[in-house]
Amino acid sequence: MLRKGLLGALALIVTLMFGIQAMAGGIIKIGVQAPITGKFASEGQSIDKAVRLIVKQYNEKGGILGKKIKVYTCDDEGQAQKAAVCARQLVDDGVIAVIGSYTSTCAEAAEPIYYRAGVLQTSDGTSDTLVKHGYWTFFRNSSPNSAEAAFTAEFFIKKQHYKRIAAISDYSTFSTDLTNAVVKDIKKLGGNIVYKGKITSGAQNFTPILTKIKSFNPDVIYFGGYYTDGGLIRAQMEQLGIKADFVGGDSNDNPEFIKLAGKAAVGAYLVNVPLPQMLPYDTAKKFLKAYKAAYHEMPASIWTLFNVDGLRAILYSIEQTKSTNTKKIAYYMHNKLKNFPGITGPVEWNKNGERVGSAYMAYRIGNDLKYHIVYRH
Amino acid sequence: MDIFLQQLVNGLTIGSIYALVALGYTMVYGVLKLINFAHGDLVALSAYIGLVIMMQLIGVVSSKAVIIIAVFIFTAIIISIFGVLLERMAYRPLRKAPRLSAVVSALGASLLIENGIMLIWGPMPKIFPASIVPNINWNVGGVYISLMQLLVLVISLILMIILYFFVNQTKLGAAMRASAIDQDAARLMGINVDKIIVTTFIIGSSLGSVGGLFIGMYYRGIYFNMGWIYGLNAFVAAIIGGIGNIPGAMLGGMLLGVFNAFISGYLSSSWALALTYVLLIVIMIFRPTGILGERVAEKV
Repeated sequence: MLRKGLLGALALIVTLMFGIQAMAGGIIKIGVQAPITGKFASEGQSIDKAVRLIVKQYNEKGGILGKKIKVYTCDDEGQAQKAAVCARQLVDDGVIAVIGSYTSTCAEAAEPIYYRAGVLQTSDGTSDTLVKHGYWTFFRNSSPNSAEAAFTAEFFIKKQHYKRIAAISDYSTFSTDLTNAVVKDIKKLGGNIVYKGKITSGAQNFTPILTKIKSFNPDVIYFGGYYTDGGLIRAQMEQLGIKADFVGGDSNDNPEFIKLAGKAAVGAYLVNVPLPQMLPYDTAKKFLKAYKAAYHEMPASIWTLFNVDGLRAILYSIEQTKSTNTKKIAYYMHNKLKNFPGITGPVEWNKNGERVGSAYMAYRIGNDLKYHIVYRH
Repeated sequence: MDIFLQQLVNGLTIGSIYALVALGYTMVYGVLKLINFAHGDLVALSAYIGLVIMMQLIGVVSSKAVIIIAVFIFTAIIISIFGVLLERMAYRPLRKAPRLSAVVSALGASLLIENGIMLIWGPMPKIFPASIVPNINWNVGGVYISLMQLLVLVISLILMIILYFFVNQTKLGAAMRASAIDQDAARLMGINVDKIIVTTFIIGSSLGSVGGLFIGMYYRGIYFNMGWIYGLNAFVAAIIGGIGNIPGAMLGGMLLGVFNAFISGYLSSSWALALTYVLLIVIMIFRPTGILGERVAEKV
């Protein structure tokens, strides 16, 4: 009796050492940790639906490594305490990888639990700190907040070759941080900032500051604030005869921007992650078609698709390594996986689990008042 | 030099809107010695009502000029009715009460209108159609001026001139001035002071509604709480010019607009608001009744 117990314990230890926890009887278990209820319910449900769709597609083709995939979903309600509970539950269920969570806060609360259990985690959280803990189990499938600034700077210098750049923000933390980061990254690339200033959000009359900017003769004005001000800035630029381009940060991306700017919207540039239907990749078109056929609606947002890319990359890596050993899979994802054709663009990770490249795109508003992609990674 | 002139044009445009709104504050203060804090919100309301009327007319009436004139007239009428109701319900019952009660009532009315707008039209900005005033821009020796700016400047100026002659040359204007100086004496002279007060609210609200429509048509984006910021600026303009004094409100509005433009243009827009209040304090120190304000001796 005792001997049998010892043997069992030994076997358990051996299994743990190899990090193989989910080989139970011919199935591979995948977890979804997402806000199925609460404020972000639509996003969480969309992620869960998308994961189940991909898994169904795999299972119809016979699963992977000859095993069927089974999905376990836990609702973290978008709350950190719940996220920790979910993480323990999913680990107990024996999953080898978890998709989620939707919010950075919940992803971060669950991170150490998955790390200690050796369970892979892929999340769309954008907070820069998510990849700073040194957990080998974590893979960010979206772009961090700092990626927008880096992308904008590249767009300015490498694509548009702007020589005289003016930058405006409002007084909000979001806008100031973004604009400062953009200016810093532009300078890093050797760009020339001729003016940097702030506007009071909601002031409506921006002609004084724009007249001042005009005297610096810039070839572009960057605005890192919200569309309610951005649309007016664009309109008043035209009114003052300022020939410079206008480039707006992600919060200018709103249909109201075009309404506020009127005809002046034509020729303005916006930088943001794309809407699902704007993704140019074939994999994206195929996936959206399947999603629509299965659920008669579009995914809630681009964030669902980032998570799907995380899942697809993990499943692909399991196939390539022919293993469910999470250490081996993680090694493959960190080092070997290059240019994996994702729905949101090529997928690969650096050693910290940060996704390389970014999904940000620059759009030009055309004469048809629609977005036209002019630059992407 | 063209930068200087451009800033002057920028400042005068927003300044004339401030002036139109400031007239509402100053006229009511003149006759009632009351700051009508709800005036700014009436201005915001006028932009919303004007937008509703405009959207009804577009498609039915083909001439844009007719639409614009109709929008101005109907909005002015509706806002005047609101102004009169405001006086009846919020101020008249408190006319004998301590002045503080009337101020609290004014603030209450302001919150009521502001939140009413939010409940009816929602917290997101509403946007005026872009093509209602043709998007024409002139370049006069490096200074850019648009048709809309020109309309704002010219119409404001005409309205102010009419108002000036109305107050100084007509019988009703004289009665208004008399009520402002001494209500009891005016009553003894056979002036119906209540009627004069109602007239004052009608004129003030109509001018405010023109200001609100200019904001909507020039900047196009309108917000439920924009009455507060425009009201505050116009109120400061009225005080700078000398509250209770009609040419003072016009001067104060223009001065504030131009001052703001030059501070934003030559210093930094971060300083514009702060220095506006510094200007206010400096003027109050040297001329406590404002630039064109009546002399204190006259009041006693």
